[in-house]
Amino acid sequence: MKTLLIVSWRNVWRNKSRSITILLAIAFGLWGGIFSSSLSAGMMKQRFYNSIEKQISHIQIHDPRFTRDDDIRFSIADAPAIIKTLRSDSVVKTFSARTCCNGMIATATLTKGIRIYGINPAQENLTTQLAHAVIDGHYLSVTGRNPVLVGKQLADKMKLNPGSRVILTFTDCHGEIISASFRVEGILRTSNSMLDETQLYIRQTDLQQLAGFRAVNEIAILLNNINQVNAFADQLRSKFEDEEIRTWGQISPDLLYMNEMAGVTLMVLMVIIMLALAFGLLNTMLMTVFERTRELGMLMAIGMNKSKLFTMILLETTYITVSGSLAGMLLSGVTILLTSRHGIDFSSVGGDSLSEYGYDAIVYPTLYPEFFVNIIILVLITSFVSAVYPALKALRLKPSEAIRKD
Amino acid sequence: MNIISTYDLVKIYNHSVVPVKALNQVNLEIEQGEFTAIVGPSGSGKTTLLNMLGGLDKPTTGSILIDGTDITAMKESRLIDFRLRNIGFVFQSYNLIPVMTAVENISFIMLLQKFPKQQMEKRAMELLAQVGLTDKANDRPNKLSGGQQQRVAVARALASNPRFVLADEPTANLDTQSAFNLLDIMQKLNRDENITLLFSTHDQRVIDRARRVITLVDGSIAADEKFDR
Repeated sequence: MKTLLIVSWRNVWRNKSRSITILLAIAFGLWGGIFSSSLSAGMMKQRFYNSIEKQISHIQIHDPRFTRDDDIRFSIADAPAIIKTLRSDSVVKTFSARTCCNGMIATATLTKGIRIYGINPAQENLTTQLAHAVIDGHYLSVTGRNPVLVGKQLADKMKLNPGSRVILTFTDCHGEIISASFRVEGILRTSNSMLDETQLYIRQTDLQQLAGFRAVNEIAILLNNINQVNAFADQLRSKFEDEEIRTWGQISPDLLYMNEMAGVTLMVLMVIIMLALAFGLLNTMLMTVFERTRELGMLMAIGMNKSKLFTMILLETTYITVSGSLAGMLLSGVTILLTSRHGIDFSSVGGDSLSEYGYDAIVYPTLYPEFFVNIIILVLITSFVSAVYPALKALRLKPSEAIRKD
Repeated sequence: MNIISTYDLVKIYNHSVVPVKALNQVNLEIEQGEFTAIVGPSGSGKTTLLNMLGGLDKPTTGSILIDGTDITAMKESRLIDFRLRNIGFVFQSYNLIPVMTAVENISFIMLLQKFPKQQMEKRAMELLAQVGLTDKANDRPNKLSGGQQQRVAVARALASNPRFVLADEPTANLDTQSAFNLLDIMQKLNRDENITLLFSTHDQRVIDRARRVITLVDGSIAADEKFDR
C-alpha cells in the first residue's frame, strides 16, 4: 500500500501544469462556495439573532382571543401569576409584559395606521435591547408627559423628529375611541425596516391610564438557553391552560424553516459546486488514463491486479481532490477569519434594503465546524465518484492491446 | 521437461468483416533453458503467439499448458496472478514506470509478489549489477538511454524469478551497440542461470544468437530449427 501511495503521488505530478490547474480550480471553487456559504450563514445567523433577541423572544404569551382579534380588551387573565412564575424560574433570562393595541398616528397633515406597544422601558430594554436601536433623541424616559418612540421609516414618512408632536388614537377598554397627544422622544432603527414603519412604543403606564385598565396583552420571554424553549413552554402550558403560549417557531414558522433549512441550502450549494468540479476532475483523470494506456497495460501484463490498479487511480484522484480542497478550505478559513471580526459592509451596494427583510447591512461571515466536516465528506465522495469511471476504463483495457498503443 | 506446450492453437480475430486467422493449429513445445526466437514476416502471428503464451490473450480453440497447467481455462484474476509468478515480460518500448527509479522499477514486481523488503532491495541491486547498471540505480527512466532502459526492463522481468521470459522485439528500438549489449546480457543469463528466453523478432542479431528459431508463416509453424551455439 505504501508503494501505491508513493507511486500515485508521483503520478499526480507527472503533468504538473494540468494537476495544478485542476487543483486550483478545486481550491477556488471550494473557496467561492465556502465563503458564499459563510456569508449566507452569517446573514441567517444575524437575522435569527435579530428576530429572536430583538423582536419576538423565545416564548410569547397571549390571551387566545387577542391573537385572533387584536383587541386591547383581551388581556392575559393570569398575568400576575405568570409574572411571579417567570421571576422565580432560573430558566428565564428576562421578560417583558406589554400592553398592545392597534391605532392611528396623526400629525397635522398625515395619518397612518399603527401598532402601539405600551412597554416598561427598563424591562423592554432588557428583553429586546430597544434602547440600542435609538439613533436620534432618547429612549423612553420614566418622567415627562407622553413620550413616544417611533421607527426611522415611520418618522421619515410622517416627517417626525425628536420633539415633534403626534396624536395617537385607539380604543379603550370599553371600545370607545380615545385620542391623546404624544411627543416624539426618540427615533429607532432596528434591523427590520418594515416594523420600524408599522409600530411604535409608549410607556405602558400611559397606555393603561388612557385605556382605562391595567391590562397586559403580551408577555415576551427570553430564556438563558434556546434549547430549553419547548420544555419550558410545555411547563407553562400545563400551568396556565387558558393562555396561548407559543414558542418562537410557532410565532415565526418562516424563521424556524429558515433555521432548519439553512444547513441543507448551503450543502445543496456545495453539492452543485462539487458536481461541477467532479466533471473537471473526471476529464483530467480520463486524460490521464488515455495518456497512460500503454503503462497501465504493462502493469496489468506484469501482474498488477485490478484492485491495485483501481486503488492507484482512486488515490491519484483523491490526492488532487484533497490537496485542492485543503487549499480551498484553508483559503476560506483565512478569508472568514479576516472578515468575520469587522464584517463586510454591504450598505454601499444596496445593503440597506436588506433590512426590509430583517437582515443587517453589515454581514459577519460565519461557519459552523460541522459544515467543514460535511465538506470533507463531500470532497471524498466527489473524489470517489470522479475516479470510478476512469478507473473502470483502465480496468477494461486489454493488456495485449494496451501495451502496443502509440 | 517442457515448460510450455501448445496444442492445436487457433486464434481468429473478428475485428473486420472477414475473420482473420492469426494462428492456425500451432503445436509447440518449449523446454527449460531454451533460447528461442520466433521469426516471420509482419502479420505472420508472432505477437499473437507471444500474447497467448504470456496469458495476455486467449486462443479461439486449443490449449496452452505452462508447467502442466492449462492457462486457457483460467479466470482473468487467476491469470494475472499466474503471470506475476511465472512469466517475465520485456517489451519493445521498454515500458518502465516513469515515476520510479531503476531500482524501484525492478523492486515493484517483487513488491506485487510480497517479497520481504530487505530481500527485495538486495535482489534488485543484484539484478541491476547483472545488467551492468548499478550506478544508475536511482535514476528515473527519462535519465537513461534506450539501451539502459531495456536492460532495466530485463532485470525487472527476471525479478520475479519467472519460469520463462517473453521478449517482444526487445532490440527493435535499440542502436547496434545497445542491442549487442542487451543480447550479451540475455545470452549470459540464459547460459549461466538456465533462464528460458522466448523472443519474437525480426532482428537478425537476435536470430544469430538463438539456439532455436521457429518461423511462422500465415499463423502456422513453417520451420522449427535448432542450432548448437
